[in-house]
Amino acid sequence: VVDLLQLVFAGLSQGAVYALIAIGFVAIFTVSGVINLAQGEFAALGGLVAISAVGSGLPLPVAAVVAVVTVAVVAVLMERLTIAPVKRMTTLVSLILTLGVSTGLKALMLLVYGPDAEGLTPITPGGFTVGGVSIRHQELWILAVAAVVALAVYWFYERTLAGKALRACAEQPVAARLVGISLGRASLTAFLIAGCVGAVAGVMASPIYFTSWESGLTLGLKGFVAATLGGLVSVRGAVLGGLVLGVLENLTAGYVSTGLRDAVAFLLLIVVLVARPAGVFGRSAEARV
Amino acid sequence: VGRRTTPARFVAIAAALTLGLAGCSESADTGDDGGPADESGPITIGAVLDITGAGASLGVPERQTLELLADQLQAEGGIDGREVELIIEDDQSTEDGAAQAMNKLVNEDEVDIVLGASRTGPSLAMRPIAEQSQIPMISLAANAAIVDGSEWVFKSAQNDRVVIERMIEYMAGQGWTTIGLARDASGFGEGVQEIFDEVGAASGISVVAVERFAPDATDFTAQMVNLRNAAADVNVIWGIPPAAGLAQRAYAQLGITTPVMQSHGIGNQVFLDTAAESANGLVAPLGRLVVADQLPADDPQREVITTFIDDYTAEYGESPSTFAGHAYDGWQLAVDALREVGTDPQALRDHLEGVEDFVGISGTFTMTPEDHSGLTKDALVLVTVQNGEWTLLPDPGA
Repeated sequence: VVDLLQLVFAGLSQGAVYALIAIGFVAIFTVSGVINLAQGEFAALGGLVAISAVGSGLPLPVAAVVAVVTVAVVAVLMERLTIAPVKRMTTLVSLILTLGVSTGLKALMLLVYGPDAEGLTPITPGGFTVGGVSIRHQELWILAVAAVVALAVYWFYERTLAGKALRACAEQPVAARLVGISLGRASLTAFLIAGCVGAVAGVMASPIYFTSWESGLTLGLKGFVAATLGGLVSVRGAVLGGLVLGVLENLTAGYVSTGLRDAVAFLLLIVVLVARPAGVFGRSAEARV
Repeated sequence: VGRRTTPARFVAIAAALTLGLAGCSESADTGDDGGPADESGPITIGAVLDITGAGASLGVPERQTLELLADQLQAEGGIDGREVELIIEDDQSTEDGAAQAMNKLVNEDEVDIVLGASRTGPSLAMRPIAEQSQIPMISLAANAAIVDGSEWVFKSAQNDRVVIERMIEYMAGQGWTTIGLARDASGFGEGVQEIFDEVGAASGISVVAVERFAPDATDFTAQMVNLRNAAADVNVIWGIPPAAGLAQRAYAQLGITTPVMQSHGIGNQVFLDTAAESANGLVAPLGRLVVADQLPADDPQREVITTFIDDYTAEYGESPSTFAGHAYDGWQLAVDALREVGTDPQALRDHLEGVEDFVGISGTFTMTPEDHSGLTKDALVLVTVQNGEWTLLPDPGA
């Protein structure tokens, strides 16, 4: 039982990182139908910027803010330069465009930060043991921050005018435009959210899981799978999807075979796409976001 | 539209074919029979390294070492007045990347000798190309499978077998008989369990549990929980940084108090940084490089090692890792052979096979037709970590 709890707990904190990245996918996809393959790179960039900021002597909170702002700017620029100019965006075009951006970002990170994987200093180092389950402080921080961010995003969509406008774009693009909501601005906001959430994921994950120029690939794939579990349109579904994926990965590694760990995500993806393309945790299509 | 593209496509294919044929005939012209003419031009040394990807913490210092040594050689005026050109390729830590890079070096650049790759998997992918094109190759990786039964392939890192001999010796001294093993799932960890069982048999030591991890894995909770349950006398983590360091951290974080041994794959600062305080107390067989300042004054390798550390530190502002040492040895073995016998591949190969008492960073090399690695367990010292520093353990034989 101790082992089970240990594996589940480690899975939850890993899953919270996937969940944050999944929220980024959902934020962008619902508004514009764009699948942003550079979402994982947002996280990697966030982690690397924070690491180098701490390395140059900034305190951790400041470094985290610098990282989030940098990634947000990159996300907004990406939207303005590559997504906004396209007149008729289809999902396929978006895949190709964002794959290009992702490759470019990776190359840039490799040039600037070099090839080594590095870790950020934890918010509070150390850990403790409860009933045989050892817990790192950073894991609690990841869970807490992920919960706060997820709630904030949820609140934004449900309770604020701007959030409701985004939902309107997602559900009825034509009607939304008729009542004066700018689709362009909505898309920009969505990228801003995705950038911020991605950067937070990267900064939080870095102390435990380390960050290198290429860690965005795995994170992005896992985040995408998590988002797909929620049908790509539900924040709640994305969060649940992330947590479930993280736990399943760890249980598979612990009880079946460690080599299968990375296969879990893709097996899950195939099963979900075949059996329930609308997602397992998403409600039906009218309740988007 | 469809009809108009057909001729265009035809032209493109025809052009590609023509270029391909031209390329083939060109390499055929200059390839095999260029022998005598080649004796005056620049000497080319190719290197395939894990500069990006999972092996980056190995490949980057190796690249820096090779560049440093190539510059030094250039400043000395090359080999017999011939310029030495170094061509470095990144295999991105993948097997197919290494095979491609090797093909390019052999067929396009027509190098005289190849160094690399940094890790076992990519090295194994390069081996058949070296054998087939009969170009001598010196791998910088560990697994003995790279050179077992090979004609054209040599290696400069200590064989996993001699490392394991050292480890078993230590375990026997401590009275441990059961091993829990968490190993790299790629080429570096392949066959390790079997060697532990084989070498350990005489001392009654055997592996009771095996866990695997990908070289780029980031979470090790599952593996370490299973190791804890195996309750062996000693646990061995067999991998390279950062994975080996993260595994060590997960191990300590789970509060497992069983002693840990690591492999010779961890001899760099990245490991110490990654593992941080969790590294304290682990025991690993490493090359003498990391404990150069603690070596006795009469150690035969001391001078070579100290000179290299000074040069490297002066150039890059950080001390070299054991992997940098593997690159140094590979380069010096290659240059020594080129100096003695020129660029004829067969002569180079024969010379490398006859290397005797060649003092390098990782040990003193003596190659034979059966042993293309040339190092024994004397090339390794047992090292522990105290307060984030490598510390030499007293020699059990002494």
